[in-house]
Amino acid sequence: MDFLYDIIRHSAQNLVQAGALPDSFKFAFVINSLLCALIIGPMLGAIGTAVVAKRMAFFSNAIGHSALTGIAIGIMLGEPVNSPYISLFSFAILFAIFLNFSKNKSGMSHDTLIGVFLSASLAIGAALMMFATKDINIHILDGYMFGSILTASNSDINLLLAVAILAIGAGIYGFNRTIMSGLNPALAQVRGVPVLIYDYIFVILIALITVASVKIVGSILVEALLIIPAAAARNITRSLKSFVILSVVFATISAVTGIVVPMEFKIPIPSGGAIIICATIIFILTLLVKIVRRN
Amino acid sequence: MANGVNIKVENLSLSFGKNEVLQNINFEAKAGEIHCVIGPNGGGKTTFAKSLLGQTYHNGKITFEWIEKRGIVGYVPQIINIDKTLPVNVLDFIALCIQKRPAFLGVDKKFKKQVDETLDKLEMKNKSKYLFSELSGGERQRVLFAQALIPNPQLLILDEPMNSVDKSGAEVFSRIIDGLKQNGATVIWIHHDLEQVQKIADKVSCINKTVVFSGEPKSVMNEKNLLKIFSSRQGE
Ligand SMILES: Nc1ncnc2c1ncn2[C@@H]1O[C@H](COP(=O)(O)OP(=O)(O)OP(=O)(O)O)[C@@H](O)[C@H]1O
Ligand SMILES: [Mg+2]
Repeated sequence: MDFLYDIIRHSAQNLVQAGALPDSFKFAFVINSLLCALIIGPMLGAIGTAVVAKRMAFFSNAIGHSALTGIAIGIMLGEPVNSPYISLFSFAILFAIFLNFSKNKSGMSHDTLIGVFLSASLAIGAALMMFATKDINIHILDGYMFGSILTASNSDINLLLAVAILAIGAGIYGFNRTIMSGLNPALAQVRGVPVLIYDYIFVILIALITVASVKIVGSILVEALLIIPAAAARNITRSLKSFVILSVVFATISAVTGIVVPMEFKIPIPSGGAIIICATIIFILTLLVKIVRRN
Repeated sequence: MANGVNIKVENLSLSFGKNEVLQNINFEAKAGEIHCVIGPNGGGKTTFAKSLLGQTYHNGKITFEWIEKRGIVGYVPQIINIDKTLPVNVLDFIALCIQKRPAFLGVDKKFKKQVDETLDKLEMKNKSKYLFSELSGGERQRVLFAQALIPNPQLLILDEPMNSVDKSGAEVFSRIIDGLKQNGATVIWIHHDLEQVQKIADKVSCINKTVVFSGEPKSVMNEKNLLKIFSSRQGE
């Protein structure tokens, strides 16, 4: 894959020399971050539609926060500080399974249960992080909360790409069945959908996506990018087709603009934040359209 | 005669916690028959239907004896809650139900004709682009019914599918269901309109926790039995 990234970087440099692209595109880190954006945008935009349709926004938020605990555990276990992926993945997946299990077994209302898990995972994560990083740079915490797309390495991109292919493949294969399980489990089961299994696969998928994106957009912001573009698309669409397409488009536009605009206009804000601000602006515009249409 | 299924239920019992909802149900339905299930609210009809669909933990035995190979099961649920804000239109909803191809890519080619015809018969074709949340109660029931017909079911389980459907709609429903029956399908139809049941049912069973009576409508739907349905509800 590195070979492919090199080709992309070289062609970008050529285009810069030809005057077709702005100057900043000659830097490898800029191209890397744009590659990330082009992977993360479609992935989060597409899967976000299912998250919104299944009303799991809050759920995925809790998983996002669990990443913090995963990172802290990784650091304590001696994994590399910048990529404690093994602990991160294992913890997020276990957390997702446990959360779903408690939800199914207790019959408690989702928002109450998730509210508890969400606060708990954040508190434990923050506490462990303070403990684990007391003799390491505290900026790690900052980086994982808000991401650092500009420092994405080849291996980060590889991981992201692998998860994106898995997620989009699974998303296309299981879209109807996942949505049906949420809409009416009895009806889904009649159609041969193993509802419970799909439920678990979906939360595991969200955990994978979240973890793979954490380093790029941050544990807090990945959830925003999962939800906001889909919510914006939902505001103005009247079919599943335009819902999915617009969500992907919005997420991708947000990711790319969030990187390019601050750089080109020399605005000193982190790319993660800029991405979410773009998504929010799009959301507000769709909200306006919706309000105008209703009156 | 086309495929259908003979269903036999023996000593079916089911509880939710300490609440025994079904007790020693014995029930039989035959291919090519419309078997109506009646009974008071809370009598356990919906729960019984879910047991037939294999979606409950229960005691007792349910056997399916397909005339040919295992056929397609259609189900019309009693209620469906769907998020009002979700951009799912009528065609999307049907696609979600009937096919594997992601619904956002449109209705699968192999079902397109049948979807069109079914919506047309149910007078819903001009509303196929309406959001599910923009439909009236009766229109939603039409759509719920439509999905159960695609592809042609050999066992159709209907849970009060026409509560808010108007008279002309009810006639269309009845005609379609009758057509399936003529083809040999098994129809289990939870119904609360006793007058209608007398007209359409080949067999009728009254379920109130257990089977209160069962048989041909002519012989079992007499005054004495019908009185039992409602007096037993009061006795609970
Ligand atoms: N998931 C559940 N958990 C606990 N109790 C339940 C559950 N579902 C149904 N019940 C109980 O089982 C009983 C039978 O319910 P069911 O829905 O089968 O009745 P029904 O005959 O379909 O009624 P209706 O005519 O109102 O549709 C009710 O008393 C209800 O309270
Ligand atoms: Mg019922």
